[in-house]
Amino acid sequence: MEKPQSRYPDISDILALKASGRRQLAALSFAEKLSILDALKERVKPIVQARNARRQRQAQRLSARA
Amino acid sequence: MSLRKTIEVVNKLAERGAIQRYAIAGAVAALNYIEPTLTEDLDILVSIAHFEKHQSGLLLLTPIAKALADLGYSERTDVGFMIDEWPVQFLPVASALEEEALEGAIELDIDITGDPPLKARVLGAEYIVAIAVKLGRLKDLARVQAFLDARAVDLVALKSVVERHDLMTKWLSFCAKAGIENPL
Repeated sequence: MEKPQSRYPDISDILALKASGRRQLAALSFAEKLSILDALKERVKPIVQARNARRQRQAQRLSARA
Repeated sequence: MSLRKTIEVVNKLAERGAIQRYAIAGAVAALNYIEPTLTEDLDILVSIAHFEKHQSGLLLLTPIAKALADLGYSERTDVGFMIDEWPVQFLPVASALEEEALEGAIELDIDITGDPPLKARVLGAEYIVAIAVKLGRLKDLARVQAFLDARAVDLVALKSVVERHDLMTKWLSFCAKAGIENPL
């Protein structure tokens, strides 16, 4: 029996929209982009804090074993 | 927390003579040309004339650390000096490529409505790309790809920098990894 052929959607319009979004972001002024970086950093703050805490715990475990 | 404030403090270091020639490098410099990408720190390329040299040959950041402490910033972490919650790495020029990049850095006016105007020195696009090719980590190569996609780098100028600093082999390796024909 022949395996049914998968059909995948055409996502070229989604990719084109993403590319257009990147171009719009690239066209912003340096000052606007600095503000975006501040906002991005704020958004990932909890993740960075959790990562740092995990690293600290790992380091403590290693030093306790030594 | 604001990168603008952090850059203001870097400018104050220059005004006080703690650093002389400097330029923003890395992801924040790339902002001037391509879309923003997340970064955790601000890289500042600085001429080695500003560093104290230890007897061992190590470069010390003492004058920068002293000037920052005078300005109220004394916290230092593994990722750099903390200035307004942004870690700042002061990177001494470590190659002829970086020396040339620093020499040719461009001055930007950062205007945010309601704030006094601020100037900042930023590396040129061809140097950001050449340094990324030289470093060759995956995140650097992604940055090179972003510059090419956005047509944000003058290919003639880039070719000249790549040839002058013996980076053609690394450049061709990047093209192979990216699966593109050499555009230079």
